[in-house]
Amino acid sequence: MEIIVQDIIRQLIKSIKVIQLYGINHPSARQSYQPFFETLTGFLKNSGQIELAIEQYSISHDNQVIYQEREKDISIAFRLFRDGVRNIKITDGLEFDEMILFLEVMSQATREQDIALNLWECNFSHIDFYVIEEEDEDLNYELPVQEIKNIDLNAKLANIIVKEKLDMNEPIDLTLSEAELESLKTQMAHESREASLSVAISTLINFLQHDKSPEIIDSLTEMLAQCIDQHEFYNARLIVVSLNEYAKINAIDKYEKENIILDFKNFINTISDENLNQFLAFISLFSKKSLSYFIRLMPSVQRTERLEKLQDNVAYIAQSDYQPILIFLQSNNTDLIINTIAVLSRLDAEEIVGLLDPLCDYPRPEVRCSVIQAFEVFKQAARIAHFIGDEEAMVRIKAFQTLTVLNYPAIYNRLIARIKSRVFIDLELTEQKETFNCLVANGGQGLIKILKKMLFRWVLFGRKRYRITRKLAASALADINTDESRAILEQGMKKRNPTVKQACESALKQ
Amino acid sequence: MSIYSTGKNIISLFYALEKAVQVYDLRNDVVTGTAKKFGHILRTLLNIYPQVELVRYREYVFFNKQRLRFEIDGYASLQFIHDKMKQLRIRSLIILPGINEEELILLCLALKKNRDEFPSEFNAKRFAYVRIEYTDAEEETPDFLADGQRVKRIYFKALKVTKNLMNNLWKNQSVDVKSSKRVVHSLVNALSQDEFGLLALTAIKNFDEYTYNHSLNVGILALALAQRIGFSKKSLAKIGTAGILHDIGKVSIPRDLIYKPTRLSEQEWDILKHHSEYGVKQIIKTRGLDETGITSLIVAYQHHWNYDFSGYPFHGKETLQSTFAKIVRICDSYDAMTTARIYQPVPYIPSIAIRVIWKLSGQCFDPLLAKVFIQLLGLYPIGSCLEMSDSFVGLVIGQNEGYPTQPTVKIVATMQKDSIDGPIIDLSVDKGHKIIRAVYPQQYNINPADHLT
Repeated sequence: MEIIVQDIIRQLIKSIKVIQLYGINHPSARQSYQPFFETLTGFLKNSGQIELAIEQYSISHDNQVIYQEREKDISIAFRLFRDGVRNIKITDGLEFDEMILFLEVMSQATREQDIALNLWECNFSHIDFYVIEEEDEDLNYELPVQEIKNIDLNAKLANIIVKEKLDMNEPIDLTLSEAELESLKTQMAHESREASLSVAISTLINFLQHDKSPEIIDSLTEMLAQCIDQHEFYNARLIVVSLNEYAKINAIDKYEKENIILDFKNFINTISDENLNQFLAFISLFSKKSLSYFIRLMPSVQRTERLEKLQDNVAYIAQSDYQPILIFLQSNNTDLIINTIAVLSRLDAEEIVGLLDPLCDYPRPEVRCSVIQAFEVFKQAARIAHFIGDEEAMVRIKAFQTLTVLNYPAIYNRLIARIKSRVFIDLELTEQKETFNCLVANGGQGLIKILKKMLFRWVLFGRKRYRITRKLAASALADINTDESRAILEQGMKKRNPTVKQACESALKQ
Repeated sequence: MSIYSTGKNIISLFYALEKAVQVYDLRNDVVTGTAKKFGHILRTLLNIYPQVELVRYREYVFFNKQRLRFEIDGYASLQFIHDKMKQLRIRSLIILPGINEEELILLCLALKKNRDEFPSEFNAKRFAYVRIEYTDAEEETPDFLADGQRVKRIYFKALKVTKNLMNNLWKNQSVDVKSSKRVVHSLVNALSQDEFGLLALTAIKNFDEYTYNHSLNVGILALALAQRIGFSKKSLAKIGTAGILHDIGKVSIPRDLIYKPTRLSEQEWDILKHHSEYGVKQIIKTRGLDETGITSLIVAYQHHWNYDFSGYPFHGKETLQSTFAKIVRICDSYDAMTTARIYQPVPYIPSIAIRVIWKLSGQCFDPLLAKVFIQLLGLYPIGSCLEMSDSFVGLVIGQNEGYPTQPTVKIVATMQKDSIDGPIIDLSVDKGHKIIRAVYPQQYNINPADHLT
């Protein structure tokens, strides 16, 4: 049995050390406490309980020392002994959550922590412990004698009743209705740690308006750290703004560090939308010093809408000076370049266009797409038109899509020429469709006639080509959706040619 | 499941079975089903413990030596079992391994009898696995509670720590935070073991040491109220500390103002009112900003806020008063009213203070918390001096759960002011005695401290 108990203690010590190093949620910690829990519960199932006696530097079981460590700073026995814990008993039925709580308390290393008190607060069901009480000899307390002299107490009593307007015979109904009980429980449920923190923060901020003493400033600074640690960004923002407004203190400065900002990746994908918005509002208080760290953070953001929101906020920070992030345009890391372009494109600065020009021929198509997107923001249709001859389909499609949104009639003739060209037949249907969409968006008055011709007459490149062009032309006519275009489609419905008829039918159903 | 939750579960099944046998035929599914559940949990327990024991002592019920608290959940069942044991003079009910459903049902049937019929009914049934012990007129303290001095020791230790803490702050010296934490820890334990014993100590007021006494008393009253409404141990530790520290800001007020022997001028009151704000800074200095520190800070700041948003420091309606502060608001007012101070040499008697709390509930005090507070202390709190219908004077030494107007009193004097060592009368059982009115103990030369410790 001693061997198993020694193994339990060894695993306990190991788990505590790992938790101290990495925190309770780290995979290494889990790998450590999972087997500890299994060994311990297995032992408890057979023996019913395990009772450990704590001595100054050692832990014993059944009068056998199973752990000894004389180094005070690392000795678990010493820490327990110092705080008065003399015995720990764990009984069968121990639950996983209890063990986690127990390990958390045991791994709190600071001297200020009172392990006995922290264990007591956990209110364990299957872990019992004995703590010695400090003996205090000097408790000779004299019981008071209550003397009231020369006062008519009957009259005094009557006066109080009159003064307070009391009816001493009024019945008092002390029953609590179901609704009242529920209300009490709700009240208690609202007394969460977060709620208390909010109230404490607003109290201290009230103070700060007229009291700029170090205690108040330091407390708010400490609470800011707590808020950031616990992802309480609404309060964090409130503190930073207030310290700045009332005490002219830049509290955000110490958080503008690469490691801190990159650590935001641990929650940015998982926090609630509401909390994300609070987080974004909070980071908008950061200075340009942090810009490059935020750009480095962006590749960790998995959800597009979250990334875009982050880019918006970083652009807000960069609006006064975007120089710190230009370096990333020369990076080899595609993600960094794309995110930098996305941030730059959100700035109201025409000169950005010139900065992006060198990237128009960047080898990676994703980067060229980002450039197109940025050019769209700056309404640089002519520059985007350059990309319809790009070697990559995804870039060309992006260009067509962008030109569809922007009004750029100058592209019209190039599009017609492209549709007429032999290569058009070999393109993916998506690109063919986007080309026609772009044609519709930028076509002039003659477009309907051209489309009609494509629908009814073109027999230029053989059967296959003819069928696709007819479909795309019919669809484009449906998109134009004028009396004239609809009349052409209705006319097509009456044609004998089945491909024309089919194309017009499905276009009209659009 | 902890022994405490198991105890509550046992009580609730016992209550359910007792009710079921009163209403249904014994073969009804409700009776057999409840008995089966009850039997199952008892047998499971009896695999671990040699016996299952319910003990009633004063107003407490203990399950295998663990005191069960009257809380919002399970209040009715615990009260029923307590009252039933009290009514039948049962001191302990012991269930032994081998218990079966049939004996459980028979036991519940026997419990329907009155005080005179029950013993013979119980004997006639010849229970094999149930034992009953009866109380004498004078209740004996169970062995596991024999150390009656323990609560007193904890109280005085707490008082000493409170005094040191405040004195050190006054002198701008460092304070021993760990001791104050430990004290609250001991108070919570003491409260769960002997609530009335500890509450009785709060009724002994020390004029000379008002500030420390008051701080500690508020802490204890707040703990008792919070325990009653079901706060977790962690929250109890927070409210206990916050209660003790609620007036800590007073150490930043000149001492001669705190101890001024005459009434304070309006200007002086204004200075004194700043103690809530000073309290915040003292808490920061003393406690730091861990969870307990944050709660204490809020309580120190908000403990003069009223339920109707009045009070000081001035505040709008956007910041809600924390429940912790609402609890301390009531306890602070009650203890302040009932304690003599330099400028209030004659305090309110406890029953008047209770009436004031009731009257101002919904205005100064949260009405629900005020109700629970009065349930806790009763209309005649421990330490109250009562003129009785039979020309004797009694001192309230205990409350009877569910009977707030019928406490347990010890007869200590005659109306002619002769001191006597009279009997203890439970007014909830002994209906022959009536309360005429509550008075000042000094009117009958009674020192409550002599009887409450």
